[in-house]
Amino acid sequence: MNDKYEAIIGLEVHAQLLTRSKMFCTCANHFGADPNTHVCPVCTGQPGSLPVINQSAVELGIRAALALHGNISEESVFARKNYFYPDLPKGYQISQYERPFCNDGHLIVRLKSGGEKRIGITRVHFEEDAGKLVHQGNETLVNLNRAGVPLIEIVSQPDMRNSHEAGQYLRTLRTLLRYAEVCDGNMEEGNFRCDANISVRREGQKEFGTKVELKNINSFRFVEKAIDYEIGRQIELVEKGEKIIQETRGWNSAKNVTEVMREKEEAHDYRYFPEPDLPPLVISIQWQREVEKAMPEMPEAKRERFKNIYGLSDYDAAVLTSSRELADYFEMVAGQSKNPKGSANWVMNELLGKLNASGQEIEESPVSAEYLAELISKIDSNEISGKMAKTVFEEMFETKKSPGLIIKEKGLTQISDSSVLEAAIQKVIAANPEQLKDYRAGKVKLLGFFVGQVMKETQGQGNPALINDLVKKALE
Amino acid sequence: MLTREEVLKIAKLARLELTAEEVESYRKKLGRVLEYIHELDSLKTPQDAFVRHVPKDSVAFREDKMIPFPQHAALMKNAPDVEGGSFRLPPVLEES
Amino acid sequence: MNIKGTLDSYRKKEFKPSEFIDGILNAISKKNPSLNAFLEVRPEESRGKALELDRRLNEIDHLPLFGIPIAVKDNFLVRGWRATAGSRILANYESPYSATSVERLEAAGAIVVGKTNCDEFAMGSSNENSAFGPAKNPWDLQRVPGGSSGGSAAALAAGLCLGSLGTDTGGSIRQPASLCGLVGLKPSYGRVSRYGIVAFASSLDQVGPFGHTVWDAARILEIMAGYDSKDATSSRTVVPKYTEALANASVKNIAIGIDQKWLEGLDEEVRRAFDKALQGLREKGAKIVDISLPHACYSLSVYYLIAPCEASSNLARYDGVHYGHRTKHPKDSEEVFFKSRGEGFGTEVKLRIMLGTYALSAGYYDAFYLKANQVRKLIQKDFEDAFQLCHCIAVPTSPTTAFKLGERTEDPLTMYLSDIYTLPVNLAGLPGVSLPCGLDSKNLPIGLQLIGKNFEESSLLQVAQAYESHRGVFPEPLAVRGGT
Repeated sequence: MNDKYEAIIGLEVHAQLLTRSKMFCTCANHFGADPNTHVCPVCTGQPGSLPVINQSAVELGIRAALALHGNISEESVFARKNYFYPDLPKGYQISQYERPFCNDGHLIVRLKSGGEKRIGITRVHFEEDAGKLVHQGNETLVNLNRAGVPLIEIVSQPDMRNSHEAGQYLRTLRTLLRYAEVCDGNMEEGNFRCDANISVRREGQKEFGTKVELKNINSFRFVEKAIDYEIGRQIELVEKGEKIIQETRGWNSAKNVTEVMREKEEAHDYRYFPEPDLPPLVISIQWQREVEKAMPEMPEAKRERFKNIYGLSDYDAAVLTSSRELADYFEMVAGQSKNPKGSANWVMNELLGKLNASGQEIEESPVSAEYLAELISKIDSNEISGKMAKTVFEEMFETKKSPGLIIKEKGLTQISDSSVLEAAIQKVIAANPEQLKDYRAGKVKLLGFFVGQVMKETQGQGNPALINDLVKKALE
Repeated sequence: MLTREEVLKIAKLARLELTAEEVESYRKKLGRVLEYIHELDSLKTPQDAFVRHVPKDSVAFREDKMIPFPQHAALMKNAPDVEGGSFRLPPVLEES
Repeated sequence: MNIKGTLDSYRKKEFKPSEFIDGILNAISKKNPSLNAFLEVRPEESRGKALELDRRLNEIDHLPLFGIPIAVKDNFLVRGWRATAGSRILANYESPYSATSVERLEAAGAIVVGKTNCDEFAMGSSNENSAFGPAKNPWDLQRVPGGSSGGSAAALAAGLCLGSLGTDTGGSIRQPASLCGLVGLKPSYGRVSRYGIVAFASSLDQVGPFGHTVWDAARILEIMAGYDSKDATSSRTVVPKYTEALANASVKNIAIGIDQKWLEGLDEEVRRAFDKALQGLREKGAKIVDISLPHACYSLSVYYLIAPCEASSNLARYDGVHYGHRTKHPKDSEEVFFKSRGEGFGTEVKLRIMLGTYALSAGYYDAFYLKANQVRKLIQKDFEDAFQLCHCIAVPTSPTTAFKLGERTEDPLTMYLSDIYTLPVNLAGLPGVSLPCGLDSKNLPIGLQLIGKNFEESSLLQVAQAYESHRGVFPEPLAVRGGT
């Protein structure tokens, strides 16, 4: 980005809550079903229907607010956001407006530079999702299965200054929500949606530039790209002396540009007023405390615990807690192998490398935590050498088989039987009289040669430490 | 008294198509009612007062149980136009 | 004929449900064309239910509304029946579920014999805003039955059912009860579930019964009332057996509050009937005390802001997309909205939608909706203060008796003024009941309204019962004769 300019970025995230039923009715909160089958009078806005609040949804919202260090109001108000659209069956969305349940909050993002940045959160509030529209030729189809699904909207302060910070904010937020078991955080599936508000201004300029809203960013891959493009587009306009129009633009991933979305000329007048079908939302201090006590362990706490209990470095602990799944995987390996440092090493250096190369997540690892723990135990008990273990690991990754089975099938058990090794050593010594003379003459470096030959003779399965000792003795 | 433009603006917000006569007729009637309602302007009211009409012992919450509505067919029966289980409409004009 | 008497007759086997319902259905087919009280009748279904009850007489003690024919206002959903709410936009809407209040009555043995006419979306005070023509007042077919629950009142007054259901947002049960010579009760807000009622103004709507007697209304209420998990605004307060408390109803030493200022300018005949009623109560031991409701005079302005605002939002769902009227050959989604709503809604409904839309729109919220709610709080407080001095408040239900069809349709305000004595009760969320207390020189009924403390329907009904006992039998309408 042009150094003369500063970008101001704020992000709005809509996260679907992991409840069994919808926000205001008892329909199922999950997809894949035929259109308009997870529906009822309430979520289809039939005459006479009324909303009743899903208590679990509120609890998940409280967890999110706690994870974001937010200020939870003991009393907040649901409000109607009124507008007409075919995916909005009641002609209004039940949301929260003047008095959301959570104000202020923040999260800390780690930057690639190694530093950290605190991003503020303005508010978190509850709302219900709308249905889905499918445009098909000269008609539009409306499916209300998604209408009424519980959401929280998380609005950040405009604290981000570049696409990297924005990307890290989203990743961190996603991790926190997944840790707290509030939301799946999957952008492609649409349960974690992000809109960006972007403006630019000259370095040193006091006033903010015109804000442009950017929608339709439906993958983590596009976030940085879309934001960078938009910042560039705005700077270019400003350089030319042109005005930036306050509008809504969408990311076109095929053309790699942002485009104006067809939009009304005037701003929406949502005519918010308090929802008369619901009393105020009461979240007592006691309830907040109960939720806090029952919260799953959050990344910062887990990181500290890993450092203390497993003796891991700050860096290692950070990597291993970057996702709940990874942390859980590591803990299972460490717990079963009773070798935390070894486990950390294998997970970070061997497993993650291979998973990244094949584009897989830890949840898809062909090597199960149990099997990896088993492998580590076999190294620790000298059943196989560390070097041999790497070969076994490759095979485990390919075939998903257990280490025990692979070792058996390939006959890779480490040889620690002295008599077997002695026999091999004698063979090697007999085959190399020149080197034996040189070694006894003083060329002690040749020990490595003999050890290597013995390893070859034992097809790499000899216990290296033991071979070393026995060869040394035999050569004297 | 509201202007014609104001009436049209309101009708647009409320998605009501009105004939020219209707616009004029509503303009007069709205004016009449709004004129009467202005008596409230002179009343002093405390800023924070807002009626709580919902009884204090009401129950706003329900358990997170999934209970399907058994009669989907009845919900779709009243639909003006259905295709493949979805409500069908002519092209939708604007993105929300 | 009333509910209490009919239950007695069933017990004594004087006739069977199927016979009685048959008679009712015949009366409906004979009288409804001139009354237009019913919009939908399902004779086969009703007869079927009655036949079933014939075989269940032994259960009568567990079915407190055994075989009682009930008419239900067409803004209630009853599964399988149409629910038009008096509007073209719902002319063919078939209810996919039943309102909780109706389910409870049916579970108690009641038989729904028809859906009744009403002002469109419950907006009106005369039933003249119905898309299906007005209902007529059985006391004089040239006159209105009141509104918005005009059909329910007309049907009961004409003997086409034994009880009926209405909704009351600004007086829509009490005012038609007054104009048709019936008992009409609006319970406290939150006493009866609103689930299944086509919403008009969410913070004001309440379901209530029409009956020939206080006992009948009390019986219907005690079956319907009570917490409903599907309505987050319904109260968990226990529902007493209202009918049981009526036996020894007395007004000895009961203080009845009157706001004299409020009654200034009242029609002479109405005033006389009202004063006579008060005199009767005095004779029975009640004390009449002076109270003041200084902000009640602002009720009309407050109501005509709050109700249209909430209605403009509640009626946004009628957009032609997934149910209700859709315009023919729309070229895009916007035409679906504009034309369906333009064609489907009537004049008064459109007026109130626009009023509400305006009052909620950017820049006007504080001056209108917020302000109205603040004044509403003052009105609520007036009642709280008044109830320190009395047990219940008395006022005429309607400033006039039934007016002629077409008499008040020019200027909206003239119509709105029909409700000046009922509106404040909805704004305060209190229970109110209208009782017939006299006839004017044109032989038209006059109504006495009693207003009670929040969730104290029991006491209120006892005062009502005491008055009714003192007054004695109230005559039947003369205009519509014949039938049962």
